[in-house]
Amino acid sequence: MAKAFKYGLKGISGYLEPAERDLLRGLLDDVISMLESDVRENEDPLAALIGLDMDVKQPGDRALLRLLPNVMKDDDGGSLEFRQLTERSVRESKIGALRAAALGLDKNELVLTPDDATRWSMALNDVRLVLAERLDIRDEADAEHIHSMQDWSQAEDVESYLALVYNFTTWLQESLVQAMMAARQAKS
Amino acid sequence: MSPSVAYGTDIDERTKAAEQSATDVLTAPDIPWNLVIWNDPVNLMSYVSFVFQSYFGYSESKAHKLMMEVHKKGRSIVAHGSKEQVEQHAVAMHGYGLWATVEKAASGNETPGKGGRQRG
Repeated sequence: MAKAFKYGLKGISGYLEPAERDLLRGLLDDVISMLESDVRENEDPLAALIGLDMDVKQPGDRALLRLLPNVMKDDDGGSLEFRQLTERSVRESKIGALRAAALGLDKNELVLTPDDATRWSMALNDVRLVLAERLDIRDEADAEHIHSMQDWSQAEDVESYLALVYNFTTWLQESLVQAMMAARQAKS
Repeated sequence: MSPSVAYGTDIDERTKAAEQSATDVLTAPDIPWNLVIWNDPVNLMSYVSFVFQSYFGYSESKAHKLMMEVHKKGRSIVAHGSKEQVEQHAVAMHGYGLWATVEKAASGNETPGKGGRQRG
């Protein structure tokens, strides 16, 4: 079984079994491919170089829209303009964090620098946001319901399996954030 | 990350501080944009609070207060500034996975938190 992240003499460390690392790697890769899916081939290289994307659209997929939300509540035009200027860089920074976390899964014991820990927390958060969309978590009651499923013997269909996976990533992220808080407090 | 810096008591520093606040007063009406964070059932309270501390440099108690406001009221204005500044914050918040939007500040609506400090 995985051990919660903790802050100690080595910094932030955690422990994951091979099966848990495979599971996480799969989840991280899924989110990476979601974020990479729309990269076009025939685009203006200069625009790409400076991070512009004039062909960008609001994502049709809800999970992707949650990762890349509109920046204005009631202004689709303003939100689209913002996407043209910034979405590429948000995608790239997310992919960078997800890849870094996936690369760190090469052994059971994880020892994280503060930067590693930040990237890990961002990556786990994105994984949870995507799983939550797939599980249709819309409000606190839905979240409570999913959270109540803790017993792996309950995993009888895709939804209950996803719920257990979601709860595992939630637990892992919570322990990581607590360890990051402890590291902050130790420094100040 | 960066510790808060207390102004020294020598005259130069005092003058600098006075000039600073005078500038703030003059430019305040010209920076009418807010960064809003919205509640969602997925983001962990501890994570949201951690992001407010590490990105904006807010104290633990301020970060906690803003996070609770998001949680209980559904939204909170966590920083304000020029449109460009709050948009830059929004990009960072989206990077962290927080649900952030920007909006023009409506007069007398909500009291915004003190503007977010940029990390170096």
